[in-house]
Amino acid sequence: MPDLLFEIGTEEMPANVVLPALDQMAQMMGEGLDGLRLSHGEIATYATPRRLAVLVSDTADRQPDREVEYKGPPAERAFTEDGDPTDAAFGFAKARGVDVGHLAVKETDNGVFVSVTVKEEGRPAVEVLPEMLTEIIAALDFPKTMRWGSLDVRFIRPIRWLVALLGSEVVPIQVAGLESSRVTWGHRALSPEPVELQDAADYLDALEQAYVIADHRLRRHTIIEQAQAIAAEVNGTAVLHDDIVNENHFLVEWPLCILGSFDQRYLELPDEVITTVMEKHQSYFPVAAESGALMAKFIVVANVAQDAADIVRAGNENVIGPRLADAEFYIQADTKITPEQSLDKLRRVTFLENLGTLYDKTTRLQVLAKWLCERIGADEAELATTQRAALLSKTDQISQMIGDTKLAGLQGTIGGYYALVAGEDRTVSQAIAEQYMPVAADSALPVTMAGALLAVADKIDNLASSFFVGAEPSGTKDPMGLRRQAHGIIAICMDRRLRFSLDDIVSLDMGLLPDLPEAQTPDIAKATARLNDFMAARIENFLQAAGVSYDIVRAVLATCWDDAVETIERAEALAGIRAEDGEFEAAVDTATRPANIVRPTDLPADVQVDAELFVEPIEQRLWDAHRECAEHVVAALSGRCDYLAAWEALKSLREPIDDYFIQVMVNVEDEQLRTNRLAVMRELDRLYLRFADFTQIVQ
Amino acid sequence: MTYQQLIFRVDEFWADYGCLIMQPYDCPVGAGTMCPATILWALGPEPTQVAYVQPSRRPSDGRYGENPNRFQKHMQFQVLLKPSPPDVQETYLASLEAIGLDLTAHDVKFVEDDWEAPTLGAAGLGWEVRLDGMEITQFTYFQQACSLPCKPVSAELTYGLGRLAMHLQAVDDYRDLKYNDTITCGEIKYEEERQFSIYNFEAADVEMLWQLFDLYEAEALRLIESTLPLPAYDFVLNCSHTFNLLEARGAISITERPGMIERVRNLAREVGKTYVRHREELGFPLLQS
Repeated sequence: MPDLLFEIGTEEMPANVVLPALDQMAQMMGEGLDGLRLSHGEIATYATPRRLAVLVSDTADRQPDREVEYKGPPAERAFTEDGDPTDAAFGFAKARGVDVGHLAVKETDNGVFVSVTVKEEGRPAVEVLPEMLTEIIAALDFPKTMRWGSLDVRFIRPIRWLVALLGSEVVPIQVAGLESSRVTWGHRALSPEPVELQDAADYLDALEQAYVIADHRLRRHTIIEQAQAIAAEVNGTAVLHDDIVNENHFLVEWPLCILGSFDQRYLELPDEVITTVMEKHQSYFPVAAESGALMAKFIVVANVAQDAADIVRAGNENVIGPRLADAEFYIQADTKITPEQSLDKLRRVTFLENLGTLYDKTTRLQVLAKWLCERIGADEAELATTQRAALLSKTDQISQMIGDTKLAGLQGTIGGYYALVAGEDRTVSQAIAEQYMPVAADSALPVTMAGALLAVADKIDNLASSFFVGAEPSGTKDPMGLRRQAHGIIAICMDRRLRFSLDDIVSLDMGLLPDLPEAQTPDIAKATARLNDFMAARIENFLQAAGVSYDIVRAVLATCWDDAVETIERAEALAGIRAEDGEFEAAVDTATRPANIVRPTDLPADVQVDAELFVEPIEQRLWDAHRECAEHVVAALSGRCDYLAAWEALKSLREPIDDYFIQVMVNVEDEQLRTNRLAVMRELDRLYLRFADFTQIVQ
Repeated sequence: MTYQQLIFRVDEFWADYGCLIMQPYDCPVGAGTMCPATILWALGPEPTQVAYVQPSRRPSDGRYGENPNRFQKHMQFQVLLKPSPPDVQETYLASLEAIGLDLTAHDVKFVEDDWEAPTLGAAGLGWEVRLDGMEITQFTYFQQACSLPCKPVSAELTYGLGRLAMHLQAVDDYRDLKYNDTITCGEIKYEEERQFSIYNFEAADVEMLWQLFDLYEAEALRLIESTLPLPAYDFVLNCSHTFNLLEARGAISITERPGMIERVRNLAREVGKTYVRHREELGFPLLQS
């Protein structure tokens, strides 16, 4: 059976969209062929910067014939009582192209109907494939699409040719003003003539003749092997970060790794600066010596034949030098300014509109960092380090290095470096360098305590400030990355078990923010409440990612929580209890009974339990049990956070509560009695709520 | 090939292609894109094919003349093709051959670089074209200009002439680059770069620049109201350049930037709207020809 080739030829696509697009194409192709009842073999995908291709082996060139049964009108309408066909029967037979004599009568669940079985001849694949292939192009989902020319089509980049071949036969489709053909294109410079494919199966070989390795896996492998080999020639190791390798294998169709050099003196620049310039600006691989230190070398992956190597090397060497000279220029200019001068400049730099300067922010960070130090019992040295780091934390924001958008990602890192150059303590420098960590989900957390505290303080201040002026994230709009920052706070706090009240630190920070113009005066209580909800949603994400089930998360977040670490630990403890404790379900049932009876009522807030009003002995027994349990729960939860002990204490209420409901009617006629009993229920509910809102648990 | 010969060749190539060859615009611009012949002509339905050299000012990029290829003022060659033709990449590559590059001997890459000029509300998708690792051209399909969608879509090519010339002459420092057979770029440009770098980074009067920014903005707004989008646009350009100067002086924080950018963008949007409305009133004259 023939192979089916579908190639979308484009102008150069962004490297990072190619693989996801290929996966979609393969999936749609498989589903599409199955839907068309075209049997097929393996579905292989290939891609270069200029093409997305799917090659399906052994594809049926024709749909199999099949018998299809069509349901017609009810038998009683299709035939007279004598069994003669009516107009309805004739009409149905005609519509299906059969003689009325071929109609059958079938009993179904809904009654007796006329039916007919028609043999349907399979259609040739080239007739049914076009619609499916066209649909694939329309359905491919890219993160960002564009229009071109006067067309109304959207795609990742302009589509320039289409190959659709079933064996040697062209499958005709029309998209974006193009018609499919058997003509593909090779390497732009090395093989500029069109490549005519006789058969779909020739695809890879024909392209290789045209200086294109269409198999991206092979290109990736080739790049890695070449890079390692040429690095080894100078006793080095190619530094092959996945993202840079991935980018490169979708920048070339015919890879050639070339080793180049730059001036040794640039090795005096901080490593992060050199690698950022190499990787982020130029997509080069750095080269490291055996000791791990960077060498004055780089590897470029070029899209050329071997004989171009010398020219391409020389060209690239002329590029990297000035790039590094730029960074050197920044450092020379920036380090002429003392930290104190930088601080002074921060007084003239606005932080957020109406929220003062970056200097003001620095002052707030010092207060927050000090507060955090007190909460976690940091020693004098840690406090001093944190204070100094907070003071200098934003000085790199006025540096020329960070002013260069391609190097702006070095913020913090470069601040730490400048602090070190200025003679600051190494711990201060490191804390400054760590303040933006984690820079992405799952990326590295601060290593030092001072760095961790500064990182938390900075993020808290960004959140509090944004909520203060009403600039909080909505939908996909989150320009400051506040969601990521909130996750960062949680990750750092969990990493070091930093326990503190989010409410307190947010209130402290908002109290330090400058007054806004009168018309915009915020309602701090409301802003705090919204920030609280925002953090709750992040804690929820954190717990769900940790595998804690949804109802447990809700049960814990429905209580009065305040400390992220404590809340998460409580949820994890409850999840553990559910998994371990066979009595969990029964205990939860009991726990929900007081809530279910008291929450729907409008019991006034000031009603107190009056033991004098108890009638049944069980009422006093339950009340005593409550008092004893409350003592245990409070003791277990405050300070040592012994959730198991709290749970065991709460379980002691099971028997008295269940007995109580057997013997006592809460909603009695007598209002005084009823109110008092409801008050008891409320106290019980409140006690459970110290742990979780068990009504949220789904049994 | 001297620098000025390079300019002649690209002029000739694009003139032969059918482009109108314009002369530089006479307001300070940060890029050739910002000239009316690109940003405004890309708006509306009228087709256009235009090319021109444009000196472009980027105050923050000054290096006192000491960096081999970074300048506060550099020369761009700008091409706008509207609607974008299907063979625009091939035509572009042919232009490189026309200036003497053997494409089989060099590594030419189209690397994703979705271009955006936030101050102009302009955005497009495309690439930076790298020649042996050096960015020589910004290649963009305009999707939006002055915050208005572009229909049809224009292809915009911006050549960095200085870098190309250095590559062609195989020199790694602009000071050695021959402008013609007797004068080097160093002889022409060094003193300009040095003086303007001092001005941009050290001497510019920040207080005055803030005042100018406000004045330019007010004038642009007044002219938009008088339906004079072309003069208004000159003041938008002045606003934008003043913003760049303030930035070079380190007077704007990264958190303050968005607000400033938004002010310029709002002006550009209003100019764009007024411009298109006026062309429409004229009956989009270039649509007929």
